[in-house]
Amino acid sequence: MLVLTRRAGESIVIGGEITVTVLEARGDQIRIGVDAPRHISIHREEVFREVERQNAAAAATASQARALLGASRAQAPSSNRTGAGDPEADADPSGGP
Amino acid sequence: MTAAIDPEAPDATDEGELRFDDGIPGFPDARRFRLVGLDDVGTFQVLESLDHEGLSLVVCPPWIFFPDYVAELGEEDEEALELSDPSDAVLFTPVVIDTDERCFHLNLLGPIVINARTRRGRQVVLAQSGYPARATVSLDEVAGQATEGGD
Repeated sequence: MLVLTRRAGESIVIGGEITVTVLEARGDQIRIGVDAPRHISIHREEVFREVERQNAAAAATASQARALLGASRAQAPSSNRTGAGDPEADADPSGGP
Repeated sequence: MTAAIDPEAPDATDEGELRFDDGIPGFPDARRFRLVGLDDVGTFQVLESLDHEGLSLVVCPPWIFFPDYVAELGEEDEEALELSDPSDAVLFTPVVIDTDERCFHLNLLGPIVINARTRRGRQVVLAQSGYPARATVSLDEVAGQATEGGD
């Protein structure tokens, strides 16, 4: 990691098109301004990592999700007419011995 | 300026190519996706990578389970999506399933937004929204939605 010391109001330039400016330092809180081209997204790291983690989890469970959510939607409506493919099953709710 | 996305959004599900020029967090090289339907009702869909074989995310519109959800996009997101008209936007939330707990989690913090007109997509991070990355929905609730007719 490159380490630089900057005062409030001073900046560093990254790659010619990103400027990071220290706006204010107060105790352990430092306000930072970032000027970057629109196509570069800028996030607080912990928020970005959280989304990354959830994407990894979503990808890891995608096949289970396909199976469960595809199936549950397809099956649920038919629960109104159980045994639709078997007319005798419908006619026999209380016909046990 | 920000734009709230209308739940009554247009359709982006003709399985044509969608371009995510920045990839998505965790998968920066996954730039091209397509949306494939997963159920007859159209609630759940699969966002499939055309670059990474086997990479897919199940997604769904959040409003079915969280009717009050509001996604306010920042200017930079609108620009990246070439979103001049908010009504072109289609929004989905990624799904993480938990088979043990019989539930799934929707990522309300990081929804996927697609410009249905230009076919550009982006996972936006609604850092100011306070929404969780794991909003839990019971699988039984999904079955309930389906028997009610799904709208």
